[in-house]
Amino acid sequence: MAMQDQTSAVQPPARLHTMPVQPTARFTDWQAVCVIFGLWRRQGVRLVAGALLALAALACGLALMQVSGLRLAGCVLGEVVVTTALLRWVGVGRVTLRYAERLFAHDAMFRALADLRVWFFQSLAHGAAAGLGFRRAGDMLSRLVSDIGALDGLYLRIVVPLVCAGLTFPALLVIVGRQSLVLGVAVGVLFACSSFLVPWLIARSGQKAADQAAHLLAHLRISVLDLVGGLREIRAFGAEGRMLARVQAADAALLQGQMAVARRAAFANALAFLFGQSAVFMVLLAIGGILLPRIGALEGVSILFLTVAAFESAVTLTRAGLQAGIMGVSARRVVEMAVQPAAANTQVMHENAPADTSIRLNNVRFRWAEDRPWVLKGLTLDIPAGARVAILGPSGIGKSSLAALLLRAASPQEGHIYLGGEDIATIRPDAVRSKMAWLSQATHLFDDTIRANLLLGRPDASEDDLWKALDQAAVSDVVRALPEGLDTWVGEGGIRLSGGQGRRIALARTLLAPAPILILDEPATGLDAQTEQEFLRTLNTVSEGRTVILIAHRLTGVEKLDRIWRLSEGVAKAAAA
Amino acid sequence: MRNEKAAIRNWTRLQSRLGRQAARSVVGSGLLSSLAGIGQAWCAAVVLGHALVAWQVGGQGAAFPAWPFILFPALAMLRALCMIRADVAAAQAGIVGRRRLRGEVMASILAGGPALLRRTHSGVLASLVVDRIEALDGFFGRWVPASVLWMAAPVLILLPVGIMQPRAAVILGLCGLAVPVGQAVFGIGAAVASRNQFLAMTRLQARFLDRIKGIATIVLAGRTEDETRRLGDAAEELRVRTMKVLRVAFLSSASIDGAMVVAFILLAVLDGRQALAMQASGSSPALQQAVVASLFALLAVPEFFAPLRSFALAYQDRAHAQGAATAILDLPEVTERPALDGARTVNANGVMVAFDDVGFTWDPARGPALEHVSFTVPAGETLVLAGPSGAGKSTIMELLLGFIAPQNGRVLFNGAPLQSIVPDALSRVVSWIGQKPVLFAGSLRDNILFAKPDADEQELANALRSAAVDEFLPTLPNGLDTQIGEGGFGLSGGQAQRIAIARAYLKNAPVLLLDEPTAHLDPATEKSVFESLQRLAVGRTVILATHSAAAHMFKGRRIDLQNGRVINRQGAA
Repeated sequence: MAMQDQTSAVQPPARLHTMPVQPTARFTDWQAVCVIFGLWRRQGVRLVAGALLALAALACGLALMQVSGLRLAGCVLGEVVVTTALLRWVGVGRVTLRYAERLFAHDAMFRALADLRVWFFQSLAHGAAAGLGFRRAGDMLSRLVSDIGALDGLYLRIVVPLVCAGLTFPALLVIVGRQSLVLGVAVGVLFACSSFLVPWLIARSGQKAADQAAHLLAHLRISVLDLVGGLREIRAFGAEGRMLARVQAADAALLQGQMAVARRAAFANALAFLFGQSAVFMVLLAIGGILLPRIGALEGVSILFLTVAAFESAVTLTRAGLQAGIMGVSARRVVEMAVQPAAANTQVMHENAPADTSIRLNNVRFRWAEDRPWVLKGLTLDIPAGARVAILGPSGIGKSSLAALLLRAASPQEGHIYLGGEDIATIRPDAVRSKMAWLSQATHLFDDTIRANLLLGRPDASEDDLWKALDQAAVSDVVRALPEGLDTWVGEGGIRLSGGQGRRIALARTLLAPAPILILDEPATGLDAQTEQEFLRTLNTVSEGRTVILIAHRLTGVEKLDRIWRLSEGVAKAAAA
Repeated sequence: MRNEKAAIRNWTRLQSRLGRQAARSVVGSGLLSSLAGIGQAWCAAVVLGHALVAWQVGGQGAAFPAWPFILFPALAMLRALCMIRADVAAAQAGIVGRRRLRGEVMASILAGGPALLRRTHSGVLASLVVDRIEALDGFFGRWVPASVLWMAAPVLILLPVGIMQPRAAVILGLCGLAVPVGQAVFGIGAAVASRNQFLAMTRLQARFLDRIKGIATIVLAGRTEDETRRLGDAAEELRVRTMKVLRVAFLSSASIDGAMVVAFILLAVLDGRQALAMQASGSSPALQQAVVASLFALLAVPEFFAPLRSFALAYQDRAHAQGAATAILDLPEVTERPALDGARTVNANGVMVAFDDVGFTWDPARGPALEHVSFTVPAGETLVLAGPSGAGKSTIMELLLGFIAPQNGRVLFNGAPLQSIVPDALSRVVSWIGQKPVLFAGSLRDNILFAKPDADEQELANALRSAAVDEFLPTLPNGLDTQIGEGGFGLSGGQAQRIAIARAYLKNAPVLLLDEPTAHLDPATEKSVFESLQRLAVGRTVILATHSAAAHMFKGRRIDLQNGRVINRQGAA
């Protein structure tokens, strides 16, 4: 038992049949970012307040340099232009405001991100995207999760600095322009170049680079996954050197791409810096009265210190521009996956599920997407309430699609599915699902306790119910033997249990659900012949009175069944009962 | 626990030392840039001082010296060049460091071999190699140079400031010294806070990922509303905990801000007082000199604190490194297999395989996986290993493949203990087909040639025909050039197994190990795969582990295993 389970646990995630995930909605990066901003409206006040605090902190920072310069210069001219008290206030303001800004802005950001995560989860759950999880695109989903994480930079590193620069710009124009119009315009133009033009250029050129970097990273990931997942093959065929070379080639391509981006960013940075230096130089020229109209010494000092400080804050925007491309791509992926076209959900589905649980499929045609082949081509089935039926066929023939259709994780393109005589398209999806309990290879064990995993099937189940379900699934002895019993943490995907134990915990959860229909999609995968037979025998007794739909590629002979169909070419043919 | 911490610290220190060589050019450019910045501050101070004194005297002072107006832009160009060089060199340092680490980690993984997968999930290993190491870019590119620059650059700046105005240097120096103290105090506070929160934070982050992965299960169980609410609570808790850490962590950067503000104010007030006194006494050349020095000191303040600030910013990069260290230190070290005196190769023509009283235990808590197992398979014959899973079949296979070594007894190939055979020679005599072959991302052709990259077209065609790959080849979109594996065309279990058989044909090894090759196939496919395997078995020493009833197709010896012991033998096994 243990051996088998361990070997099945180390199999790489089933990749053979993972269909490419195709988002149905198309967005540009900008539209996607707008959708995200729309979601953040609830935290709008906090986010705006965070930006305002940042602005105040920046103003204090600018003022600090300016007033200390002025104080010194004023003394030279024999007057105290700036009092010590003002200096102290500006100084204290600078430190506290900066601290408050960072705290507040981060807090607002985390709130917004929390909203985003909940929204993402909800959209995935409600949209047809539930079909994604059904089709086991787990890796894809986890990548999306890191995309959401990447979006925290959107506010902190792009929006806030941009707002600050946007307000520094007119302030600089006015303050400098009041002394000398020519100088004001010159410094203003240079500031705009440094904090808007350069970041924009780098963001534009970075978009393609971001796409390419994502592609190269994916390539590296695949070759590493190949190497790690294929360690047995590699050792058995003595292919260590070759596979290592492959990974290194992918690594080199990625690093080379990154180097090109880094080089471009370095030049952009230097360019932004030179714009700032030009501005400072022009102020110096104006003070000296060279080429530019001369300005007063005192004003000169004040403007010089202000300019130095203003351009210092503009430097961060170049980096922001560099990240804008990456964030745009992240935003697009997240939004495209979550926002599904509303068309599929516009039908009225207020109906509750009828009490009768007979199922009828009438001439159902189905395919997962427009450009995929038809899976079901006019399937007709009749499953009376309480019947025990099997649907057989080799893998890839459409058995799991059938389960998806029954559970309303997908909808047929043609034909109808009736539950108790009602078209299930008119019944609320959750009402349909409350009638059906589902167990398949894709059934997920959550990184939680055994108890929490079981309660997912029926939240109000008592301790006795839990043990009864575990008994029925023939796993109660195992759980009893664990030191922490029901409160044992099962680990990610149930990794702390052996594969067979995990399957049976999942079965217990399915049996616990009060649903009158059980859909068992290859429930015994990964169990050895003897355990499989025991498992199926249990099913014969525990599911008394419920409709059982067993989906499998073969029968073992111990199942008690009323009807058997064989799926082929998209239709069902009755086999011996 | 303490050991582990020390190991992490040593690892981080070692990586810093290794990274420092690549970062040398970043440090050099940074120092040069600081010097140029100081030069610029001097130019600006001279111009301003001149203008102020001229103004004070009544507008008509001496003409401005020309040199600051030439030197300033020249130094600006120099600084821009330094910045480019530093940025590029930092990127390079990050790349060099990551490439080296990735190579080392891959070597460890290959050295650990399949046994590693028993402890660690392949996804975890892959994310270590890809993401964890990718996150170390900042460690090599930013943290390592910053950890040198934060000391060197301020000291370098203090020198000219000290020459021009010793008091300013003292003020700057004292404020600068306050920074590491503040960093230490608040840094330790932040570390304590984050240690207290860390477990909870990782668990909450993992929860989101876990719920997303299992979203179908949640939806189909009708628990969407519930889980959404819980997820919202978890996200809120995550925020509260993170903010607790940040509240302390931000204090350390606030301490830099504070030190800088104090420096500014002190300089402005003290130098202002001095200037006021001098102005009253009216000595203009001395006043000019003092004003220039004071302005210079004031303009040098941002330059002085810039390296300290980047040091504080780079601190989180160090945290990434420590995170990665935990995972990397967990991998087995690459040890050269000791060259045994008896290291030998195996005669490739006909191999007799034998187990001599072999015992093996994976985990003492679960008891032995194999006990006193002995059998002999003469060259060219077949042995079927039967029994339920957990009986020890897979352990026997792993022993034969050399993935693990027997704890008792010997595994013999033509009489030679397996451990004395060089790995290359062993992999040359053994072919292995498991439950589900791994298909690598690439074309079908590449996947089959994996077994023998230098095979010619004729050999390939033979293998395709013998493994019956050519039967389903026409159904693939691009024939042999169809992309399969991750992101490619999906093959059925039977088709994948035929690719494994084709690989074995190409490899043409005298020993064939079959580990439940039909476990995931339906009966019709199973039968035809067994037929192909029977053809492949001709003339080879075959060991077939299976609990399929169809195994009777293989004539030969048979042993039944239960709980790691041989309970029944048929034939001359």
